Amino acid sequence: MFIQLLIGAIMLGGIYGLLGLGYGIIYKTSGLLTFAQGEVLMIGAFLGYTFFKLFHMPFLVALLATVVIMFVFGFVFEKTIIRTILGGGGSAIHVVLATIGISIALQNLAAIIWTSEIQQFPPIFKVEYLEFGTVKVAPESISGIVVALASMVLLHLFMNYTKIGTAMRAAAQDSNAANVCGINVSFSKGLSWAISSALAAVSGIIIGPVYGVYMLMGALIGLKGFAAAVIGGYGNMYGAILGGMIVGVIETMAAGYLSSSYKDFIAFFVFIVFLVIKPTGIFNEKIIES
Amino acid sequence: MGDDILARYKNWLIALAFILVFVGLPAWVGNNAYLMLILSLSGIFVIASIGLDLLFGYSGQISIGQAAFYAVGAYTSAILTTKLGINVWLAMLAGGVLATVFAALVALPICKLVHMFLALVTIGIGELTHQAIINLPDLTGSFTGVRAIPMPRIGDYVFNVSSYYYIVLAVVVLSLLVKQRIVDSRIGRAFIAIRENTDAANAMGINVTYYKVVAFACSAAFTGIAGALYAHYIGFISPESFTLDQSVLFLTAVLCGGMGTFVGPIIGAVVITVINEAIQVLGSYQMLVYGIFIVVAVIYVPEGLVGVVKMIQRHLLKAVNRVAD
Repeated sequence: MFIQLLIGAIMLGGIYGLLGLGYGIIYKTSGLLTFAQGEVLMIGAFLGYTFFKLFHMPFLVALLATVVIMFVFGFVFEKTIIRTILGGGGSAIHVVLATIGISIALQNLAAIIWTSEIQQFPPIFKVEYLEFGTVKVAPESISGIVVALASMVLLHLFMNYTKIGTAMRAAAQDSNAANVCGINVSFSKGLSWAISSALAAVSGIIIGPVYGVYMLMGALIGLKGFAAAVIGGYGNMYGAILGGMIVGVIETMAAGYLSSSYKDFIAFFVFIVFLVIKPTGIFNEKIIES
Repeated sequence: MGDDILARYKNWLIALAFILVFVGLPAWVGNNAYLMLILSLSGIFVIASIGLDLLFGYSGQISIGQAAFYAVGAYTSAILTTKLGINVWLAMLAGGVLATVFAALVALPICKLVHMFLALVTIGIGELTHQAIINLPDLTGSFTGVRAIPMPRIGDYVFNVSSYYYIVLAVVVLSLLVKQRIVDSRIGRAFIAIRENTDAANAMGINVTYYKVVAFACSAAFTGIAGALYAHYIGFISPESFTLDQSVLFLTAVLCGGMGTFVGPIIGAVVITVINEAIQVLGSYQMLVYGIFIVVAVIYVPEGLVGVVKMIQRHLLKAVNRVAD
């Protein structure tokens, strides 16, 4: 029982971590808050579902196609809507409201295209269960964990060992100085939104086969991604992953040993306690605004 | 002399004219039930928006969890009247008071947070309250909600869905008066000082924590009363009415109208209610259009409708001056 719960917790934690990573990257590079991550996750899941089930693409191709589409979506979103708002006298709160508007629009766009019913993501693998001794595990959980970990490692390598990644970190640290050094700060801001979208889309494809794909699937997950980001230290990449795992484990264990109706309450309670007692999170991330 | 008196009481006369128009409105629309419904709901919405405007527009503290205070007001009043049979007027008042106390208790630990983190923590509070309602079935009925919430009465007269409008109107007028009194008082000036520059306000001897808590409490008083009014008007409440969407609706109203102004929240709340009703004809495209509307509004009118009016005034004034020259 415990092992099974733990595997579920790690998969869920990986998803919260990926979303939290996305929030952190956007916050670091532009100091902004987006509320559309949960819905980008949902659209990603729907696209993956469409490519995999309806177009009969192999799973990895469907995954890659979805990630590329959502990557471009994130980039274009920043270049058009976010830029227009900030250029036209809007502030961070206007961006918050605009992303909320976008998420409402995306939810209902999805309902129009794919109906508002839960769509079953067909099983990715032929075997129904993997057996480790007495423990039975769905292969989709394992593949989900693998994909989540792979994305995190790829992001780590990208941020630390490529020129563009280094430029992005520089732009996040001090955008003026980076600009003077010849780094295209505007491009790296766009890139941060693109990467966040791609991460959310990956999460959607991981969670789709486990929980089903439907228009409101991202609403609560999106909020719990915030919990992951805050607990780890808002803006810290590794903190977000740790925070995601903490939220995933707390929630899953609460559902397993207490009652599944309390799990959301407990997850949000931990989130608020962290914000009140230690808003800088476990990794003691500096908060930009005083 | 006559001109002086007229100028002095100009605002009061305008206000009086508006009140008279709204008192006469039901007769004019022939007590059309649907229009009366929209008017009453707009009024309730105006009261809640006034509360958020005090908090966000004047003291500069964002809240995306106003639905929590709305819920406390609504559930308190609904439970007191249906389970304990307490007088409806008293129960509504209790709803407002409990929402105020709740907000003050919540605000005390969180008010050190600013901007984005305050936004996040208020979302958390809203979500936590929503979850609490769901997980307390003995008290709140969980998903089945509270049914058969009674209408208020005066003596033998029991209010009905149409005449309830006058209660809402009275509370709206009262709320606007109280809000303006707060804004013009020492408290209001402290709010604005904190909004403009918290450090400077602190240096001038304003107790920042105290006034931030007061701002949350004042805001929740209005929002809680609005929640209680809503509960007794609709007669049924369930957790679905008190979600993040509701909090976003309040925020949209305040931003759409214009923050930190007298008429902004009124215009915003009415416009948002009317738009929400108007787009119902679109069927399944309704919420899609609503989402796009928010984005377009944020892009083109970031200052809200009050900002648009001011901009037009400025341009007109310039044009007039140019002609005069």
